[in-house]
Amino acid sequence: MSDFLDEHGEMQDLFFETAGELLQSLNDCALKLEKHPGETETVREMRRIVHTLKGDAAACGLRELSELAHTLEDALAFEALDQSSLAEVAFTAADVFSSMLNAYHRKSKVPTGNALHKLIKELTPVAAEVKASKKKSKSKAKVSATAVWTEYETLAQQNALKLGKKVYHVTATIDRLCAMPIAARQLLITALNSSGEIIGTRPEKNSVQASPIMELLIATEKSAEQISAKAKIPTVIANVEIHPLGVAEKSKKKRAVAPEVEINPVVEAVAAPTPATVEPEIKSVAAPEAKAQESVQPSSTASENTLRVDAERIDNVLNLVGELIIGKSMLQQALNEFARENPKDAMRGKFADAMAFQARVLNDLQRSVMKVRMVPVEQLFRRFPRMVRDVAKHCGKQVDLLMSGQDTDLDKSLLDAIAEPLTHMVRNSVSHGIESPEERAKLGKAPRGTIHLRSHHQGNQVVVEISDDGRGIDAQRVRAKAVQQNLISADDVTRLTENEALEFIFRPGFSTADEITEISGRGVGLDVVRSVLQRLKGSVEVENRPGQGTTFRLKLPLTLAIIKALLFRVDQRLYAIPLNAVAEISRAREADLHRVDHYEVLQLRNQVLPLIRLGHRPLEQPFSKGSAVSQRIFILVIQMGERKLGLIVDALEGEEELVIKALDDQTVATDLVSGASILGDGRVVLIMNLAAIMERFNKSRPVRTDGSIGLLLSQSEQARLAAQAGGRS
Amino acid sequence: MNQELHIVGFRVGRETYGVPITSLHEIVRVPEITAVPDAPDYMEGVINLRGKIVSVIDLRKRLGEKQVSASNRSRILVVEHKGRLCGLIVDSASEVIKIPVSDIEPPPAVFQEGALHCVTGMGKYQGRLIVLLDTNKLLAHENLQSKGDIQETRGAAAGQ
Repeated sequence: MSDFLDEHGEMQDLFFETAGELLQSLNDCALKLEKHPGETETVREMRRIVHTLKGDAAACGLRELSELAHTLEDALAFEALDQSSLAEVAFTAADVFSSMLNAYHRKSKVPTGNALHKLIKELTPVAAEVKASKKKSKSKAKVSATAVWTEYETLAQQNALKLGKKVYHVTATIDRLCAMPIAARQLLITALNSSGEIIGTRPEKNSVQASPIMELLIATEKSAEQISAKAKIPTVIANVEIHPLGVAEKSKKKRAVAPEVEINPVVEAVAAPTPATVEPEIKSVAAPEAKAQESVQPSSTASENTLRVDAERIDNVLNLVGELIIGKSMLQQALNEFARENPKDAMRGKFADAMAFQARVLNDLQRSVMKVRMVPVEQLFRRFPRMVRDVAKHCGKQVDLLMSGQDTDLDKSLLDAIAEPLTHMVRNSVSHGIESPEERAKLGKAPRGTIHLRSHHQGNQVVVEISDDGRGIDAQRVRAKAVQQNLISADDVTRLTENEALEFIFRPGFSTADEITEISGRGVGLDVVRSVLQRLKGSVEVENRPGQGTTFRLKLPLTLAIIKALLFRVDQRLYAIPLNAVAEISRAREADLHRVDHYEVLQLRNQVLPLIRLGHRPLEQPFSKGSAVSQRIFILVIQMGERKLGLIVDALEGEEELVIKALDDQTVATDLVSGASILGDGRVVLIMNLAAIMERFNKSRPVRTDGSIGLLLSQSEQARLAAQAGGRS
Repeated sequence: MNQELHIVGFRVGRETYGVPITSLHEIVRVPEITAVPDAPDYMEGVINLRGKIVSVIDLRKRLGEKQVSASNRSRILVVEHKGRLCGLIVDSASEVIKIPVSDIEPPPAVFQEGALHCVTGMGKYQGRLIVLLDTNKLLAHENLQSKGDIQETRGAAAGQ
């Protein structure tokens, strides 16, 4: 226990983490209370939360926070609460606590909770009185105990008295709910050490016995009140009694018991009275220890079921699993070779069995590790009720938030990444989507708007939907704004389909809101949402029902670490793209491709598909019966949101699960490649970034008129080809 | 005090260069290199180094060597740069040289500025001159960008 204080820093970190969750639960409770005021169970839960917060804060030495929480807890215990304003107080409390936590975290000045104090006081006009009476009854009920002091301690006490100091016998009752009674003793000693010299303690300083009370002798120059104030640590020390000691009275008492104590000083504790005999210590120490374990059990079970692990450690494990998968493919290939060379070897079967077994275990291992990284989206969703409430209140709207599919699992890093975009979109829905109650009444809708957050799995993807039943997006207005902001000419805008027009809302700086409010309308937002989603290899779509609402749909891959990919060859080089982006694969001949306005296109069923050439186009030889023209090629039809695009590739290599490894951004200065992976035979395959390819395609419109230069060629190759083309013309 | 600097010597073209042995992760033979599209000229591609993907820079091109040909003596020096591994292709690398600190001279003033400031000194060893390089400066982003300047400098030097 002596290093308890050294671990303060680490403990605080842990505390900040749990405190965040506690505040979240507090917010949840407040929301519940707002809907159903006076629900005693909720109030009780709130009290438990505040109590835990108080205790943890005290254990970390965050005095202001713990005191404030203490006041609130007391107020909540009071039966005749003013129920109506309780929810409001709880919201304020959550905010104040969180600002205090932030202040602690940054080590800046802690804000005072005066406003909250006042609110709490209003809440409980007579709470103080009740509290006082409760205290009294408690103190009566408490275990009375008197410790026995050793001769040495008695002597020190006499000396202190002789020196003119006051000696107090402090009896502190440790809070029943305190999770760490032994640590509590250490806390008390630390608290008192600053005000005087501690002569002796019972139980002894380094004893591991659990004991509901702690007694100590302190020699000090301070008054009993000061000592008592120091010793009262909320949630740790429930009660403190202080008796000044005189010379004569004490020493007499000491003499009587001293001999016994000397024989077996460690065991001699008041809480667990054991016969003070010369028996071996082990037996008597073991009993209280077992007792201590018992008493600690209930409070720690909850924390035993969940482990807090640094995300980095899990990533490391995942990386290793990735290596194992590569290793497995290597082994498989070696085995295949072996089988080919020694087709009659009896070992073949054994190898194959072992291989199959390993593959199965490896699969399970991979799935389990992936699962460790998965967290339910609820972790993200749970912050929204409070936010929706606040924003709605701010805008004078009435909004209900429905949530479903909270248990959908998503990779933790993905969840963190979409937190901000999603927050933004929910906020948007409240402030822009939902109409004011009056407007809704006029339209014959219920005055309360509804926002629905949904989440579910769809194949290899997770879909998160935000839909509202508000006014929807006015496509005409979007068009008008687009023209006004010079994003498109007035002629072209009329030709756009509704979906194409809606694409403008994802443009940077685009906003249909005429006025800028505190909450939204700055035109920053949906473009950020889209770019985040693209970075995550996901997408965002909008579904507009004018007058009836809007639905935004975020689609995300299940995880970023491993993808199913389609491998293909271009110019003898191997590349991969995520399989879920491939809508279909089509075969064609060079001769089937058409040129429209410097673009190569393919007529696929009844649609014209724009094409991107990844490699170089085979040189046309107009006079020979060109084999190049009749050469078979593959077209990968990829789908990104609403748009389709064909990639011209030379050959397909099959599909494989790839463990994505990041490339060194600094040296590989291209956005065309989003990552790389290692195949079983040790080859490196590059994974294309489809969003970037799409973007290149859009951008290249005016510049690159010659469609024959492939996207995937290196700069020098491109230069060489350009020179060749120039030389020929 | 006769301190010695342990240098890994390698050849690029006709010159011998050296980097401190401590800055070197390992030396490997040149495996199959996967080219990266759209990458700058000096960027040769990426390799698989025991399950890690390491980008490889052709030091011969970086140092302005005109003729680059792969031979079986070519090696990749794997160095660590800003926490990531990076490979440098050289014509050959074999020896570890111990040079007394007193035999190292500061680089000529012309090298101090511009893209050649990755030269930290000139070591004299058995009548040879070894150009000592700082791999970190060699790989610094802006240095890689200004490759054109190096070629000019080299061209001027060759013209003398």
